[in-house]
Amino acid sequence: MSPMNEPLTEFERNARVVLEESVSRIDGRTRSRLNQARHAALEAAGARRPAWWRGLTLMPTAGAAAAALLVAVVLWHRQPSGEPPVLEAQHAAEDMDLLADSEALELLDGWDGPFYEWATAQTDNVQSEG
Amino acid sequence: MSEFATLASPYIMPAARHGDVDLTDLEAQTRSRALNQFLAGVELKAFKMAQAALRHEDDALDAVQDAMLQLVRAYSDRPAEQWKPLFYRILENRIRDMQRRRTVRGRVIAWLPFRGDEGDDEPDPIAQAPSPEPQPPRRLELDQAVAGLEKALGELPGRQRQAFLLRALEGLDVAETAAAMGCSQGSVKTHYFRALQALRAQLGELYV
Repeated sequence: MSPMNEPLTEFERNARVVLEESVSRIDGRTRSRLNQARHAALEAAGARRPAWWRGLTLMPTAGAAAAALLVAVVLWHRQPSGEPPVLEAQHAAEDMDLLADSEALELLDGWDGPFYEWATAQTDNVQSEG
Repeated sequence: MSEFATLASPYIMPAARHGDVDLTDLEAQTRSRALNQFLAGVELKAFKMAQAALRHEDDALDAVQDAMLQLVRAYSDRPAEQWKPLFYRILENRIRDMQRRRTVRGRVIAWLPFRGDEGDDEPDPIAQAPSPEPQPPRRLELDQAVAGLEKALGELPGRQRQAFLLRALEGLDVAETAAAMGCSQGSVKTHYFRALQALRAQLGELYV
């Protein structure tokens, strides 16, 4: 049985030597033609590559531009609220906290409302006298 | 010192503009270099295999060129370790196509009353003429061994010849040979074993 994954037999080693000798005797003209064939194959592939390869490389850029455009359109349509969506959400959360906090409301009720009325009246008087 | 500075400058410039370098181009160039190196490493052996199967130099060159083109076009993005089995599989398919076409052409030509290319297979008398320079004995032994092995390989069935050459000449293992031949590893071992038996019977145990 021929052990293909085991060390070569003497016959196989001899055969390899002879085959390599046979390869080394390939003439210069054939070597040159093989060399030309190789370069032609590589050039043909290189010439073909940009058509689809470069198209693929531009896809991330085009995708990013499309995403940026989409975000801009969404923000444009949300402009009437006057604030960016993040700030709006933050203010809504603060309002909820205020309404939920009963102590803060009591403090607001009992806290120097008359003083502010008096201060406002003083300011109005000074302006009218001036 | 100035010489070194002059030599070094072309290699410094691209690094300074690193942001401008197109990575896809660099990858393509690296892959192209790897493919070139791979094909340069297999092209002579592939030619010998094609020549042994087709027994015609131009056809063998065409087969190798087609296989190179097909590999580069269709499989260059595969891992490099897959290239060799793929390349030899493509080459074998191309050889079979050529053999089939030749068989059909031969049948058609056999029906024609006149065959104008009969003289094409005549050996070139200049090429056949013995060299005037005396050759050393070792060289003569190798000449005889090469001629004997090439003749014996030409007489092997195609699958046996392919298995033997992929193993003995290209050094593929059983799995790689099976991938290149498109058959099971068991079939590869059978083809290879029969090839060895036939070659031993024809050439003897020691012929180098």
